[in-house]
Amino acid sequence: MSFSLPPSVLLEGAIVGLDYGLLAVGLVLIYRTSRVVNFAQGQLGVVAAVFLVKLYYDYGFNYWAALAIALALAAAVGAVSELVLRRLFNRPRVMVMVATIGLSQVLFLFTVFPFIRPKKLFRAFPVPINWTFHVGTFLFSPGEVLTLIVAPIVVIALAAFIRLSSWGLAMRAMAENAESARLSGVWVRRTSTVAWTLAGALSAVTAVLASPGQTSALTEVLSPDLLLLALLAALIGGMVSLPVAFVAGIGVGVVLDALQWNFTNPSSGTASVELVLFLLLLAALLVRAASLQKGARVGERSSWAMGTAAFRRTGDALRRTVGATGVGITLLVVALLPFVVGVGHSFLMSQICIYGVIALSLTVLTGWSGQVSLGQFGFVAVGADIASHFSSLPLVLLLPAAGAATALVSILVGLTALRIRGLYLAVSTLGFALFMQTSVLATSCWTVPLIHKQICSGLPNPESTLIGSPSLFGINLSSAQAMAWFSLVVLVLSVLMVRVWRDRGVARRLIAVRDNEVAAGSAGIPVVRTKLLAFALSGFMAGYAGVCLAFATQRFSTDTFDPTFSILVVSMVVIGGLDSIPGALLGALYLEGLPAIFGSTPTVEFLTSGVGLVAFILYLPGGLAQIMHQLGDLVTAGVEHIRTRGSPPVEPADPAPAHPVDPHQGRSPSPAAAGTFSMADP
Amino acid sequence: MTGVGSAPAAAPAAEGPRTGPARLDIDELVVAFGGLRAVDGVSLTIEAGSIVGLIGANGSGKSTLLDAVSGIVPLAEGRLRLDHEDLADYVPHERARLGVVRSFQDCRLYPELSVEDTLLLCEDARHRIDVLSTTLQMPWARRAERQKRLAVDRVIGSFGLERFRSHSTGHLSTGTRRIVDLASIVLANPRLLLLDEPTAGIAQREAEAFIPLLRRLHEVTDSTILLVEHDVPLVFELCSTVVVMQTGEMVAAGTPEEVRRDPRALAAYLGASEEALNVSGPIASSSGDAPPGPPPPGEGG
Repeated sequence: MSFSLPPSVLLEGAIVGLDYGLLAVGLVLIYRTSRVVNFAQGQLGVVAAVFLVKLYYDYGFNYWAALAIALALAAAVGAVSELVLRRLFNRPRVMVMVATIGLSQVLFLFTVFPFIRPKKLFRAFPVPINWTFHVGTFLFSPGEVLTLIVAPIVVIALAAFIRLSSWGLAMRAMAENAESARLSGVWVRRTSTVAWTLAGALSAVTAVLASPGQTSALTEVLSPDLLLLALLAALIGGMVSLPVAFVAGIGVGVVLDALQWNFTNPSSGTASVELVLFLLLLAALLVRAASLQKGARVGERSSWAMGTAAFRRTGDALRRTVGATGVGITLLVVALLPFVVGVGHSFLMSQICIYGVIALSLTVLTGWSGQVSLGQFGFVAVGADIASHFSSLPLVLLLPAAGAATALVSILVGLTALRIRGLYLAVSTLGFALFMQTSVLATSCWTVPLIHKQICSGLPNPESTLIGSPSLFGINLSSAQAMAWFSLVVLVLSVLMVRVWRDRGVARRLIAVRDNEVAAGSAGIPVVRTKLLAFALSGFMAGYAGVCLAFATQRFSTDTFDPTFSILVVSMVVIGGLDSIPGALLGALYLEGLPAIFGSTPTVEFLTSGVGLVAFILYLPGGLAQIMHQLGDLVTAGVEHIRTRGSPPVEPADPAPAHPVDPHQGRSPSPAAAGTFSMADP
Repeated sequence: MTGVGSAPAAAPAAEGPRTGPARLDIDELVVAFGGLRAVDGVSLTIEAGSIVGLIGANGSGKSTLLDAVSGIVPLAEGRLRLDHEDLADYVPHERARLGVVRSFQDCRLYPELSVEDTLLLCEDARHRIDVLSTTLQMPWARRAERQKRLAVDRVIGSFGLERFRSHSTGHLSTGTRRIVDLASIVLANPRLLLLDEPTAGIAQREAEAFIPLLRRLHEVTDSTILLVEHDVPLVFELCSTVVVMQTGEMVAAGTPEEVRRDPRALAAYLGASEEALNVSGPIASSSGDAPPGPPPPGEGG
C-alpha cells in the first residue's frame, strides 16, 4: 500500500484541524485558570449555535445580528457555568471534571427546549459568505472558507488579549501558581469567570464554524471522539500553551485525514486510524507526563475529602440491625421481582444488577485508589468480547477466566497510570475505551504484519453479534427471568467480595497509597504494586460483568460498548457516593431505573444524569449513600422511640456531618501523657 | 520508584526477620536536584543503638539526607549501607522491610484513613497476605487479620488512642497525629529510625515532654535513631552524637560537648550565642515546669 497525500486532503485536514485547534484552545484556557479538563467545552457554545439557527430562520434576523446575539449568549452560558462550578473551588479537581460532564449534559438539554430549537431541523446551517474554490477536483464549500479565515483571526485575537491585557496577565499568573497569584492581588475568581466567558464565546465560534459541514440537526458537537481529538491537541500543548495547542489541533486534523485517505478500507472501517490515534494519545501523555505532573500536583495535593469517609459503622447494635433488616427486605423484594414483572423489566433488572457490578468496579478503582477511569466500558468490552468467542464454556469457568484476562488488560492500562495520574489518566482511559470500541471490537479479524497470521480478536460480527444461550450447572439461563436472577446472584457475590476487600485490609492499602504515596512507600507498602492491584481488581470485576452483559443482551454490537456508557458509570458512582458500596448500587438503580419508570427518552436520561450529577456534586457530596444512611438513622431513632415509649427520643447520632471536625480537638492526648506508654515488642 | 518485580526483597526474608539496632554507613553521599547539590559529600557512620541528632539551618540538606536514606530521592553519588546491605539495591518499601522506618515532618499520614486503619497498615507492611487468600477468606488470611488487629489494639491501648480509633487522621489535631505516627513507628519494629522534626507544629511546652518520650521510644523499639530537629537543647540533651550541616555539607560532628565548643558549628548554626542553646530553658530541668522560651529558630526545613 502506497502512502499518498494530495494537497486537497492536506487542506481539508487542516480545516477540520482548525476546529480541533479552537476546541483545544478553549480547553487550555479553562485548564490554565481552573485546573480542570472541561468536558463541556464543546457544549458551551452549541446552545448558542442552535439559537443562531433559530434567530436566522424562524425570526428572520440578519446573520450578523444573530451571530452577535448568539456569541453573547454563549459568553453568558460560560460565565454562568463558572458561577455554578465555583462552589467546587476547594474540591478535588476530579470532582469538578465530573461536574463538567454533568454540565455538558445539562447544556444539551437546552438545545432541545422549544425556544432555542429551530422549528425545522434539517436545513443547512447559515453561512454569511458564498465564496468557494477548487483544489484539484475538490470543491471547498463556503463554510470551509469561513473556517479558514475566521479561526486564525480568533486565535490571534485571543492570544493578543492574553499577552497584552491585565486579565491575560492574571490568567497567566494563575496558571503558574493560583495560590501566590491570589496573594499578590489577582482577583482569582473574577479572572476565572473571564476565562470561562471567553471559553464560552470561543466554543460558540467553534460550533458555528464546525456546523456548516453537518447537514442534520446539530445537538451534540462534542462527541467523546471529537473531545478526545481536542484533548490530544491540548495535551501536546502541555495544557498550558495556547499556540502549541492550536497548531497541534491542525496537525491532528491533517494526520487524521491523511490516515483516513490512505488506510480506510471497507472491511475494517477506520480501525487502523483509531489505533494510530490511540497510540498518538498515549505518546503525547507519556512524553508530556513530566511537565503535566508538575501542574497537576497543585490540584491533586488536596485530600480526596469527599466527606464520605465519615461513614463509619457505629457500634450501635440496633443501628446495625436496622441496616441489616433493610438490606434483607430489599434483597427479598428484588429476588421476587422476576415473578411479577414482565420480560422487559426482568431484562432491565439484570441490566441494573450488571451496571451495579460495573459501578462497584469503579468504586474500587476511583473511590479507593483515586485513579479516575473514564474507560470502564473498555474493560467491560474485553469481557464481552471473550464471552462472544468462548460462549460454549460453562459459566462457572468463563466468568473468572474472562475476569482474569480483563484484569491483565487492566494492568496494562494501569501501567500508564504509574506515570500519569488524575485528569490525564482519565483522558488515557477514555482513549482506551474508544480504541476498544472502534478498533479492537470492530475488527473481526486482522493480519499480524510480520508473521502474516490472521488473528480473530474482535467481535465475530461487529454490527450484530448473537451469543449462544448460557447455562449454569445444566440450568438454561436463556429466559429473561433466569438471567435476572443470575445477575442478582452475581451482584450479591460481588458486593460480598468488595466488602471483604473493604474490611479485611485491601481498601486501606489502596486508600493509603492514594492519600500519601510517599509515606505509604516508606511504611513498607509497595506503591507500584498496590496501584496495579487496584486496576487488576477493578478490571476483574468489569471483565466478568462484561460476560454477564453479553449474555443478558444476547445480541450486541460495538455500540453496546460506547464510551458514553463509561461516563454514565462515573456518574453513577459520583451520584451514589464515591467510595461507598451501597452508593454504587444506588447510583446504578437511579440512573438505570429512573429512565425505565419515566420512559427511556434521551431527555429523561440526560436529566437524570446531567442535572442529577451537578446537583449531587454541589449539594450532596456524600451522594445517595448519605441519604440512605440518614434514613437508616431515622428508622433507628423511630424504633428506639417505640421501645422506650414515654421517655424522650434519643437524638440520632449523625454519622456524617457536612464538615466533620474533631470533636476532641481541645482534648487531644498530650505527648506527656503518651510518654508513659509501656509496650512489649508487638 | 523502580520496577514492579523486585528480586532482592526475598533476600532478607530468607535469613528470617532481623532484630536489634542497625548500623548505618553514609559514604560520600551526594544528592543533586538539577544543578543544586542538596547533600554534598556527607560521610558519617551511625553506630548501632545510638541516637544521632542532625541540626542545621533551613535548606542545609537535613531532610534530604533522610529522604536519601529512606529511598525517596535518588543518590547522585556515594553509598549507603545498613549493616552490610547496600541500600541502593532496595526501593523505599523494601527498605522499610529491612527496618528503615521514617516519620515525616508534615506528619500528614493518610487523611481519609481511620487511626485504626493507619496502624493496621503498618502490620500489613510486615505481614503480607495475598489478595486471593483475602478474597476467599482463607483460614490463614483470617488468622493473620485477627493477629494484626490484636497487635493494633495493644498499641492503641498503650498510647491512649482508644477514643480516636475510628476518627479519620485528617480530622485530628497535629499533636494527636504525632502520637498516631509514634504508635505506627512502634508497630513497624524499626532497626533504624529516621525522625524528621518530631516536635514541629507542637507547642514548646509539649515539645519538652518529647525528651522522655523519645528516650522511651528508643528503648522500646531497640533501634538506632537519626533525628532531624530544630530544637537544639532537645538534641543536645538526647543525642550521643550531634551532626551540624550547612548548605549540604557536614561542618561538624561529635558529642554534644564537642559540638558546643566547635567554632564552625557555632558559626554555622548555633549563632555563637548562648541564647539559642537555652530555647527550652535550662537543660537540667526539662521536666516541664521551665518557663516557656521564645520559639525555636525556624520551623520546617
